[in-house]
Amino acid sequence: MTPPIGAQPAGDANRIVVSGRELIWRTLPDLALPSPAAVVVESGIDALAAVRRHALDGTELLVVAATRLDESLTADLRANGFTILKTGVETLPPTSPRAAEPGRLWLLTSGSTGRPKRIGHTLASLTTVRGLQERRTWLCPYSAGTYAWWQVVTLSLTQPGQDLVVVEPAELDTWPAIAAAHGVTAASGTPTFWRQTLYRDAELLVKVPLEQITLGGEPVDQAILDQLKEIFPSARISWIYASSELGASIVVHDGRAGFPTAWLDRAAPDRPTISVDGDELVITSPYHGVGLDGPVRTGDRVEIVDDRVIIVGRLDSDEINVGGSKVSAGAVRNVLLAHPGVAWARVSSRRSPLVGRMVVAEVVLTPEARGDEIDETALVRWCAPRLPDYGIPRLIRFLEQIPAKETLKSDV
Amino acid sequence: MNQLTREHIRDLMGQVMKVQGKTLPDDDVSDLRAIGFRSLDFSELALRVEDEIGAELNFDAPGLRQIATVGDVLDFIELLQRQ
Repeated sequence: MTPPIGAQPAGDANRIVVSGRELIWRTLPDLALPSPAAVVVESGIDALAAVRRHALDGTELLVVAATRLDESLTADLRANGFTILKTGVETLPPTSPRAAEPGRLWLLTSGSTGRPKRIGHTLASLTTVRGLQERRTWLCPYSAGTYAWWQVVTLSLTQPGQDLVVVEPAELDTWPAIAAAHGVTAASGTPTFWRQTLYRDAELLVKVPLEQITLGGEPVDQAILDQLKEIFPSARISWIYASSELGASIVVHDGRAGFPTAWLDRAAPDRPTISVDGDELVITSPYHGVGLDGPVRTGDRVEIVDDRVIIVGRLDSDEINVGGSKVSAGAVRNVLLAHPGVAWARVSSRRSPLVGRMVVAEVVLTPEARGDEIDETALVRWCAPRLPDYGIPRLIRFLEQIPAKETLKSDV
Repeated sequence: MNQLTREHIRDLMGQVMKVQGKTLPDDDVSDLRAIGFRSLDFSELALRVEDEIGAELNFDAPGLRQIATVGDVLDFIELLQRQ
């Protein structure tokens, strides 16, 4: 249970490794915060100190990575009553002061227009892991203030025995070394994050004693689940469907992509109800943000394959219409990713005067496959028996590296 | 706009067919249906030409009805480049 505001957080004695320092939650620097405060963080230590301050006194809080804050967002937050606190740099007062809302936490999500949107939560609505957990040391590679970051951070703050190793953005390339050095046993990341690690540093990755591997933030395909299982056969491998708006709504532990169709339209108290309308995922979640109660259309597209519901991508970008025949970019991507020599793939479309759109792809080969002469012809031949002809990528570009953004996603 | 030679376009057409496991005949009179060059292949060729010249081709789709042979394809792409 989430402790009431003012109580000592249950995870206060948990170990934290952050910004090269090893400490415990209780010994984090005491950050004096105005309320409401938007804390702009350069380092994980400031972000965690702000979260603990909120847990102790209910400061209305928004945590955002410095790289995400621009002039427009700064002006918007100040106009909405926030004091902008750039720790050790400057403090900007609100341009329209207002009374604080005690206990309120705010997350920023990329709105449909690309302009960040604020979603209101509380520590309770962000804390989705409640049962007593096995002792673990969690890796947190996420950008401060994102939903996934809050998930890992609240787990450590509210559950005894859940230590935390925070990876700063500059340390992302070398996280397996950090994780091995600090005995990380559980790690959460996007499929792109895991692919990048397998591609770049598989030898070091196997030295991390992982017992729990979690994937989320992007569609999770069978190939990445299988690759991780091969390296960590005894680890529990889970994937989570979560969003700032709805919280963690789907959690799957059976090592398979998608979730069972039997889970659809199953109502249970305190659990999300998952539905499909047309080909869109619709969720009613108890962990929703403010004003998002009731069924919420997620904008995510699903396909039902045998007894599984597979989330393939965003509705507005997943479906490619090739001369009147429709194909899912996510389904094509999954076929490419199933090729043993493919480390990463992105599928999109290009305008074509004759057929409307054509399916095109970008691919990164595994280091082992680079000498195997896997070229466009080889990948088209791989796709041919697995996809309709209009779904076969017509141009395949080979990239040297897996592209990723600070969100650890690659817009697949 | 950077224009491709007829030979260069033929090379690209050959690449499109090779990826499909087919071979482009040396002559210009071969029938497209007989060699298995379909509208999707034609569209792919157009994309490859666009990538090479760094510009979009301005298509006039109805004109495609007259395209039946390898030579017709090459003529048409050459025409599009000149427009």
